[in-house]
Formats: sequence, structure tokens, C-alpha cells
Amino acid sequence: MSSAVSRYFTSSIGRKQLIALTGLGLCGFLVAHLLGNFTLFISSDAFNLYAHKLMSLGPLVYVAEAGLAGMFALHLGLAIKMTIENKTARGQKYYMKTRTGRGETLMSATMPYTGLILFVFLVLHILQFKFGPVYNTEIDGVFMRDLYRTVVEYFQSPLNTAWYVIAMSAAAMHTAHGFQSAFQTFGFNHGTWTPKLKLLGIAYAVFVAGGFAAISIFLHVKGA
Amino acid sequence: MTSSKLDSKVPSGDLYAKWDKHKFESKLVNPANKRKFTVIVVGTGLAGGSAAATLAELGYNVHAFCIQDTPRRAHSIAAQGGINGAKNYQNDGDSIKRLFYDTIKGGDYRSREANVYRLAQVSNNIIDQMVAQGVPFAREYGGYLDNRSFGGSQVSRTFYARGQTGQQLLLGAYSGMMKMVNKGKIKMFSRREMMDLVVVNNQARGIITRNLVTGELERHVADAVLLCTGGYGNVFFLSTNAMASNVTAAWRSHKRGAYMANPCFTQIHPTCIPVHGDYQSKLTLMSESLRNDGRVWVPKKQNETRKPEEIPEEDRDYYLERVYPSFGNLAPRDVSSRQAKYRCDEGLGVGTTKKAVYLDFRDSIKRDGLSTIAGKYGNLFEMYERIVGEDPYKTPMMIYPAVHYTMGGLWVDYNLQSTIPGLHVLGEANFSDHGANRLGASALMQGLADGYFVIPYTLSNYLASNKIDKLTTDHDAFKEAETRVKLADDKLFGLKGKRSVDDFHKALGHYMWEEVGMARNEAGLKKAITGIRKLKEEFWQDVNVPGTAGEYNFELHKANRVADFLELGELMALDALERNESCGGHFREEFQTSDGEAVRNDESFCHVAAWEWSGEKAAPIRHVEELKFENVQLATRSYK
Amino acid sequence: MSDATANMTIYLKVWRQASATAEGKFVDYKVDHVSPDMSFLEMFDVLNDQLVKKGESPIAFDHDCREGICGMCSMMINGKAHGGQKGTTTCQLHMRKFKSGDAIVVEPWRAKAFPLIKDLVVDRSAFDKIIQAGGFISAQTGNAPDANANLIPKTVADEAMDAAACIGCGACVASCPNGSAMLFMGAKISQLALLPQGQPEAPRRALNMVKSHDELLFGNCTNHAECEATCPKEIGLEHIARMNREYTKATFTYHEKARGGDGA
Repeated sequence: MSSAVSRYFTSSIGRKQLIALTGLGLCGFLVAHLLGNFTLFISSDAFNLYAHKLMSLGPLVYVAEAGLAGMFALHLGLAIKMTIENKTARGQKYYMKTRTGRGETLMSATMPYTGLILFVFLVLHILQFKFGPVYNTEIDGVFMRDLYRTVVEYFQSPLNTAWYVIAMSAAAMHTAHGFQSAFQTFGFNHGTWTPKLKLLGIAYAVFVAGGFAAISIFLHVKGA
Repeated sequence: MTSSKLDSKVPSGDLYAKWDKHKFESKLVNPANKRKFTVIVVGTGLAGGSAAATLAELGYNVHAFCIQDTPRRAHSIAAQGGINGAKNYQNDGDSIKRLFYDTIKGGDYRSREANVYRLAQVSNNIIDQMVAQGVPFAREYGGYLDNRSFGGSQVSRTFYARGQTGQQLLLGAYSGMMKMVNKGKIKMFSRREMMDLVVVNNQARGIITRNLVTGELERHVADAVLLCTGGYGNVFFLSTNAMASNVTAAWRSHKRGAYMANPCFTQIHPTCIPVHGDYQSKLTLMSESLRNDGRVWVPKKQNETRKPEEIPEEDRDYYLERVYPSFGNLAPRDVSSRQAKYRCDEGLGVGTTKKAVYLDFRDSIKRDGLSTIAGKYGNLFEMYERIVGEDPYKTPMMIYPAVHYTMGGLWVDYNLQSTIPGLHVLGEANFSDHGANRLGASALMQGLADGYFVIPYTLSNYLASNKIDKLTTDHDAFKEAETRVKLADDKLFGLKGKRSVDDFHKALGHYMWEEVGMARNEAGLKKAITGIRKLKEEFWQDVNVPGTAGEYNFELHKANRVADFLELGELMALDALERNESCGGHFREEFQTSDGEAVRNDESFCHVAAWEWSGEKAAPIRHVEELKFENVQLATRSYK
Repeated sequence: MSDATANMTIYLKVWRQASATAEGKFVDYKVDHVSPDMSFLEMFDVLNDQLVKKGESPIAFDHDCREGICGMCSMMINGKAHGGQKGTTTCQLHMRKFKSGDAIVVEPWRAKAFPLIKDLVVDRSAFDKIIQAGGFISAQTGNAPDANANLIPKTVADEAMDAAACIGCGACVASCPNGSAMLFMGAKISQLALLPQGQPEAPRRALNMVKSHDELLFGNCTNHAECEATCPKEIGLEHIARMNREYTKATFTYHEKARGGDGA
């Protein structure tokens, strides 16, 4: 690695830009994921067809999955390293530390924790669905996985549904800070546009996390 | 008596060509030889910071010392108004000659012509240099530098960076220093206080410092020593100076043979926030610009109980407008200060301490509107409210004069060298180019002129034309000086008295303010001398310094400083007593016209008084350097 | 004003630690006759005077100009740097902001990069080291062109001044949950990046200062903005953003080739 590259990847600003970049990438993924999942509101066939279509992209699926996994691993790894460094940077803790109310927010303060919840959620999420019970179905003569059934069965449990709502609240908090924060990290800060960007971040967080939570509640209420 | 030691070394010839001639005639140090010289710079304000950075750039090894934790905190930082430069960017008739003339006149003809002319000459280079270093001076929309008229000046020659000009200039000098620290040419010693000067073979060769954190005494050897340690306003206890500002470095050099010049010349600034209680630790300046729109007044009768905003027009005395119809509220600093004192002496002062006058914006708000006034002074009003807890938009400000700057200091020649060869004194610490009174926005100019543009030439001349022997800190002179410091510490710890250092400092401040302050007279000065002598005796019997020398012990630091202030205070009173005239910041009540204006005595006192220390028991010796004015006509100031 | 109003009683809990290596602890003090017109530091003067008269060791704290510009004072007051009042340093915080009977916790700045010296005094020389790494314009004395040779629009000069107002007190580091010095560093990088004089060295400056910041063990910025909220000079996050831009730009555009000597 050339010195400029290694310097960038080891510097505080370079690393947090990578966290921001992967974070924004994951934000994008979430939107796509949610839009696809809206088919759950339509019908079982709509959802299964959508899932089938995605899975029949062949090697592209693996490329996308690897890309996502890479982004996630980088995001997580760098964030953990940064969090440890940040705790160490304080040295002896304050006996009393209070917020002014003009800076740090609950959202910004809990980024490592909401991040951790999302990590646990993601592992469980993949186990529950991707590697969950496999059912098959036939639509218009095509055999495919009945992922809809796997999903609906899961949300029959009120506990499962509640866990999803909690995890999505964490996602909302995480992205509400993370989305706008990423722009600051890249050096975008403007008297007029930054406040609007902050609002957009909150709108994004409410839309995405609210969307996913709404789906889980919808499926829970609708029943199998 | 006149002294052979007080040779000003002003070059001969035409005033306008003196500095160029002198620079050409000065000897240079070969570039390869510069690295063989070490220069000690004590103090890192505008003078010390700029000198250290520049000498390091030239190739000298610089050892810089500051009392704070970093050079960026030196008290130059607190200057608000601006810095003068004779650029004539405004096309309003300014010139080097006019800045020279204004400075001489403002100093009431008690400064050296050649020095002042040089100061005006390099003023333009300073502005260029500071801009190049990234000082964000105020600009016009078109991108050109903005100027303002300051302190009653008839031309707009003051460059400013919001209300923080001193800070920005200091950070410029500081950044230059940091660059050279990075290059290894400056070795920075922070949290150090100079405790003594080491003189070997009649040359200043080193200093003894105290590491303020560990308490350790350290020896530093060099080929020359630069004192850039600021003024001694804190002899008054309350002043606008920072808490750590002190006279110790200068005073101890004085005791080693440097003459102290014009110590009684003190500048008192008329617009400070008044004292509010015995616990008060320092005074805060409010920018002089407030007097452009504020009207100064006191109630007409004593013991007025009404709130100021309820006092009707006929019961108010706008005394500056009354006494000085043409200058009114813009009368010069010393004049306005003295008038405020007179009102309070007459029992017309306001506030709980009765030591304040009103500065009222009611009429200007009525005339120009609240938003205009807020636009001009908003941040000053905020600062006032933060400190006093009253809203100046609604109720008049209270102000009172406070000690602000000391024109006196160690005597130096044209080369900024003191009466000890090798000891150079820069900035406020020297007796300066300001004569008996300093113009607004000229302190920053002088500090930077000395550090950036004068000392690099004159120091090289000194180093190149003198034989400076090799020396180490094992020399007896270092041992003696260190022992002297240690013995004084031991003596202080041994007293175990009942009074705190601050008690003595406050008592000294009281004498200074009452008798050696805005207005002085023979009886009061004699009273001060006797009183301070007695106080000094009590100090050395009854002061309490807790702790040990081997720790971070600021009571010990303060005790040493107050010990020196006690001796300086006496000398200031003596100097004021001997100077039988009123000039600039020095007002002797015996020497005034029937309507209270200062009367100068050019026959007998057109000179610098430089005092020689002659031991603890003996009286100091007064030497004089006659001032010759060949280019300006001596005139009387009038502001009626 | 005078003694008549000096009627507040304040209960202080102050961190006492004799030296960097000594064990520290909180000590409780009761301060009577506090006037609402006192500054926070004047209350400490009163307390220290009492301690000295009792033969106890006074509390060490940093202070100098006492008018909010030197940046020396540094106290964590009830969990907030400088007490948390907007645009105010500890020395300008006045007791009228408190009530009689209030209990106030006072701690030193806490950061790995600011080792403790004594009681409330910490060593902030790490800030000097960051500036040494590049927080300057290399304009050797004597080099300067005429001050008006470079035109700088008022808006740009004003913004540079906003950043330049930093007093180097360290409240940003003290209040940052991550102990990061990005606001301090960002203010200097931003000031010099805004000005045309600062351009020639801009890339090196950004790269070297950030490197120095990281090596000094300051934390990373995660955009909490607590620094901005406690900065006594109200320096904004936009200066951190500009630093981020400068750093990125330097990373991808600046390259310094190793070359031989110039000969002579």
C-alpha cells in the first residue's frame, strides 16, 4: 500500500469517512430492501415472486451479498476500533458529566449501543429468514421458495414482533444521527442546507425504520 | 546626575535616514556562525514571540521562556482595539511623519525622537508581516483592509481584527514560534519564571528560572538575554493586567545593574468596569470606542438614591461636555480619567462603592435606534451584562478608570540594550517609545516593531562586535544567583506569619492607587514612600507562605512577585516625587493651571529619569538622559 | 455589591490531587459570604485565602487574564466545561448564575492527552504540538508583500476570524464524549485554508496536523457537537467540516516526491 493510502486508512478522519461511506451504503441498501418488502403488503405471491426474481440473478447475488457483508464488516470493525479509542482518549472518567443540551443528543450518545443492537438483530435476521424454515410454492407453474410463509409464521409470535419493533427503533436512532453525520464527516456543512439535511435524516429514519416495523406489525395482525 | 552609561547611541544625521544608516553600519553575523550563538528570550508576548521566531529563522538557537503553560496566552492577547500603521490606505493624509509626530505629541514630549521615528517607519512592515502570517484583519467587501480612527486620532490608521486584535497578532507570532520549535531552532520552556539574571564579566550571560510545576531552580546560559516580560501595572494590585503579569524579571535585572527609567509613567484607562467588592481580583477594560456614542455623567447632588434612568436631565452633570466643550466625551484618556476621579472625590460617584460614573447610551439609542447601537457595541454590552448583571440598553453602564499600561520600564538605548551589555529589553518592559503617555493602538505596534524589525539587526551587531567567552552553568555566577533565589525562598518559608501574600499586595495597591495614581502630590507621595517602606518591613516579618519550594506552589510564586512590587512601588513614588511637573500620565497637583490643566516643565524635566539600584540600604541614584527635539516643536496639549 | 449582598453559601466538591502520580480525591468545602457579583474564580480566591490562613494547601487552578481571552482557565463545573453558559469561560462565569445553598462539583479537564499536573491544573501542551505540526503560514520575517496585495472578501475574512477566535482552552476536548481535539484543530486548519496566504501549505498542513492529533491520543470526532456547544468562542462544526474537506482533498491530490538536494 502506498503511504498516502495507508495514511488515509489509519487516520482518524480517513477511518470515519469510511464509516460514513459504508453507513450511507447500508442506508441505501435499507431503502431498497424496504421497497422490495412493501410487496408483503400486496400479497404472498407478489412477495415470493420478488424474492425469487432476486435470487435468480445468479452470481450477481453473491457479488451483492459479498459487497454488503464487506460494507457491514468494515463499518462494524472500524466503529468498534473507534469506540475503544474514544473511550481510552478520556482516561480517567468524570465524576459528573452532563450535556449542555445544545450538542450531544440521545441519538448521538447511543450510537455504539444502537449499533450493537443492530448487529445482533442482523445475525438473528439472517438466521431466521435466509437460513430459516424452507417451504416451497408454485406460482404460474414456476417452483420457488415460499419465503412469505417463513416470514408470516415468524411474526405470529408477539415477542418476535416486539423484538423487531425494538430493533427498528434502534435503527431509527442510529440512522437519524448517522445519516446527517456522514455529510459532516465528508466535509459538507452549510448554513442553509445542513439543517435541511438533518431533517431529511430524521425523515429517512422514520420512513425506513417505521416501514419495516409497520410490516412486522401488519403481518402479526393479519395472521397466517 | 547625567551618566556616561546613558548613551542613547542614536545615530547621527538626518532623522529620516538614521535607521537605514544604522542598519547598514551594524555588523552582521555570518550565516554559518549564527548557529553557534544561543539567545535567551524571556516572555513570549508580541515582543518576545516575534523576536524568538525571527531570530530562530535567522539561524540563532533560541531558548524561549514563558510563565503560562503555552506562549499563546501572554497578556498581549487581551488588547482589543487595534494596531496602528502609517499605510495611508484611506488617503486621509497619514504618513510615517504624521504617525511619528502624533506619537511624540501624545507622549507629551518625553520620548526619544529617533526611536519614535523608527517605530513609525517599521509600522508598515508589521502590517504586511502579520497579514502574510494569516491574521484575519477586518476587510471591506472589495477585499481591501479596513481601518478605523482610534483614540481621538484625526486619521484612520488603525488595523483591527474584531475586538481581538491583540489575540490575533499574538497567535500570528505564536504560530511563527511553533514553526521554529518544530524545526528545532526554538527550545520552548513553559511554566517557567525568571528569578534572576546572571551577569559575567559585565555581560548578561544567563538566567535562573523556576520550573513552576516542580519548583526546581534551573540555570540557563546564553550569549545574550532578551527581556520581553511586559509591564508592571499589577503593582497597583488591581489593573487590567493578567494575574501573572509581574515585574520580577525586570526588577531583578535592575538589581543586577539595569537602570529603571521613568517608572512613574503609568497609563490609566478611563473606561473599565468598576470595582465591586474587596474580593475583586482584576479589572476588565471596556473598549474606548464606547465613548463615541456614550455620554458620561454623574448626579448633581450627593447621596442620590434614584435609579439612574429615573434621574431627570436637570439633575445630571455631563461633566466632560461641560468642562471640555470641544472634545466632550472624547477627551483623552488621562484627562477623562482624572475628571472621573474628581467627581468621585466630590462625593458624586455612583454605585454601591461610590467609585463609578455613568456612561449612558440612552440618547444615542434614541437618535440612532437600538439596532444601530447594538450593531456597533453588541458584544461589549453582552460582556458588560455578563460581568455586572445589568442591561446597558436599559440602564446606564458604570465605568471607572483602571491601570492599564506602564510607559516606564528598563532603560534601553537605540539598540534596545539596557545598561547591562547583552541584556536587551523589548516591548512594554522597556521604558519605551511612548514617553509619558501612550496613544491607543500603539502598544501592539511597539512590541512587534522591537521583536520583528529592530532586534534582529541590533542583536547581530552586538554579537558580532563583542567578545563573548565560552561559559557553562557551572560558573560561580550561576551558583551565586541560584543561591540568592534559594535563600529568599527559605526566608519566606521561615517567616510563618499571619498575613497572606494577597493581603500585602492589596495594601500596596491601596497606597499606589490613592497616592501614586491619577493625581499625585508631594505630601501623598511622601506618605506612600513611608507607608510602602513600612509595609515591606512587615512583609518580611509576617507573610505566610504555605507548602514547600519543591512543588507547584503559587503562594511562593506570588510572594516573590509581591516582594519585588513593594520595592518597585517605592521607586515609582520617588520618581513621581522627583519629577516636579505634570506630563502625560503623570499629573502632579502642584503643577496645573487655574482650570486644572497639566503644566509641563520643559526647562528642568525634558529628560528621561533612569534609576540605578544601589543596594537594599542605600537610596537609588537618579540619572538623566536629556531629550533633544530637533524635528518637532514642543507645544502644550489642549482639549478645551 | 458590597458585603451586604455577599450572603450566598456554596457547597463545593473539588478534585484534589497533589501531583500527577499522587492519589486524587474529592474534598468538600463550604464557602460562606459569596457575593453574586463574584466571578467563579474569585470565589476560589476567597476559599484559597481562607485555606492559606488555616495553613492548608490552597487549590491549584489555571487562570490568567480573567477576561475570557487567554484560554488559561479550565474547570469542569457540574459536569459542563466552563459551567456550560453559552459563550463564557470559567473566569467570566459569575456567582449570580447559582443559588445560595447550591452544591457544585468542580473537576479538572479529563483527557488522556491532557495529563493532570495538580488539583485542577492539566497539561495542555498537546495543543502546541498540533500547531507545531503545521498550524502556521511559513512567512519568514521580511518576506511579506504589501498587506493589500492579496484581496480577501469581507465574508471570507469574517469566517476566518470566526475560526481564529479560538483561545486554545481545551473545553472542546474536555466536553467531547470522545476526548477529541477536532474543533481546536479544525478551527486552525479552516482559518488558514480560507485565506489565500494559507493555500501553498494547505495540503501538508492538513495531513501533518491530523497525523499529530491522532498520535497524541485524542479521540475521534463522531459529530456530537458538544464541543461547539461549550466553546467559549462559539466556534462551529463547519470548521471541522472544512478540515475534513481539506484532509480528503490533500489525501487524493497531494503528493510529495522525494528529491535530491538543490546543489549550490
